[in-house]
Amino acid sequence: MASTVASIAPQFDDAAQQRDASNLGIWIFLATEVLFFGVLFAAYTITRTQHPAAFAAGSRLTDLTLATINTALLLTSSLTMALGVHAAQSGARRAIVGWLSLTVALGILFLAIKGLEYHADYVEHLVPALNFSYPGAQASPVELFFYLYFVITGIHALHVFIGVVVISVIAYMASKNTFGPEYFTPVDLTGLYWHLVDIIWIFVYPLLYLVSRS
Amino acid sequence: MKQFSLAPIRTYFFSWCILLALLLLTLGSAFIYLGWLNTAINLTISVTQAAIVLLFSMHLRSAHPTLRIAATIGFFGIAILIALSLSDVLTR
Repeated sequence: MASTVASIAPQFDDAAQQRDASNLGIWIFLATEVLFFGVLFAAYTITRTQHPAAFAAGSRLTDLTLATINTALLLTSSLTMALGVHAAQSGARRAIVGWLSLTVALGILFLAIKGLEYHADYVEHLVPALNFSYPGAQASPVELFFYLYFVITGIHALHVFIGVVVISVIAYMASKNTFGPEYFTPVDLTGLYWHLVDIIWIFVYPLLYLVSRS
Repeated sequence: MKQFSLAPIRTYFFSWCILLALLLLTLGSAFIYLGWLNTAINLTISVTQAAIVLLFSMHLRSAHPTLRIAATIGFFGIAILIALSLSDVLTR
């Protein structure tokens, strides 16, 4: 099928070199993403060192059940994404669309549960600057915890949303027989992005939800 | 032409099982009071999970060294950022 043969840009010798260049490019981008979230984790570390008790109190107010379900969903979506890339590499064209659609569904489910969680936070008056109220002297540092909680999970959710949109586009392209063993770079790179979003959540989960649960 | 290496499909299922098991472990450990060790255990498990995703799902295990270096830049950057920031905050 002519449409599956990779078009090699003039600056590359062959498909493998073109693929290596794309891979290096996405890894550099992912490194900047890690730094982007790294600033938030650094802010978290410093604020928590200064207000350990308030972070413990704030963390206990988050919804652990929903967060744990969401973590499992995201880890599973990473599996379906990896299987989608595997399908593209081995030329199983119908399977690509299936695995990618499943990944999109899991991503949307993650966002829906996140929405439920935010709604509950709103009802419980935990949204800083909007309706935050907390009894006691620790109110101000607990609000700081929730400020970080919303910024970190919000920006992470934005990344999940972007991932869902991109994977949907890639799934649509796959349904048009665009990808196969000769050309799967877009599937591969999207997968790498999705796995990184997963890795960031792997750190968000214990830092925001598991502080002082005992 | 250098062929890409196709990882066996069971690798992905196996690492998924380990990731979920580690999730249960980190969750369970949080309910046992261990003081500062709780956070240490949680973060050690997170680093292990991240390493599994990086090595197997993201194929760094079989990747070109250039890619591995690029992949570590970000994490190295965070380590410097947090370590230097803390060295200020903790010594005031």
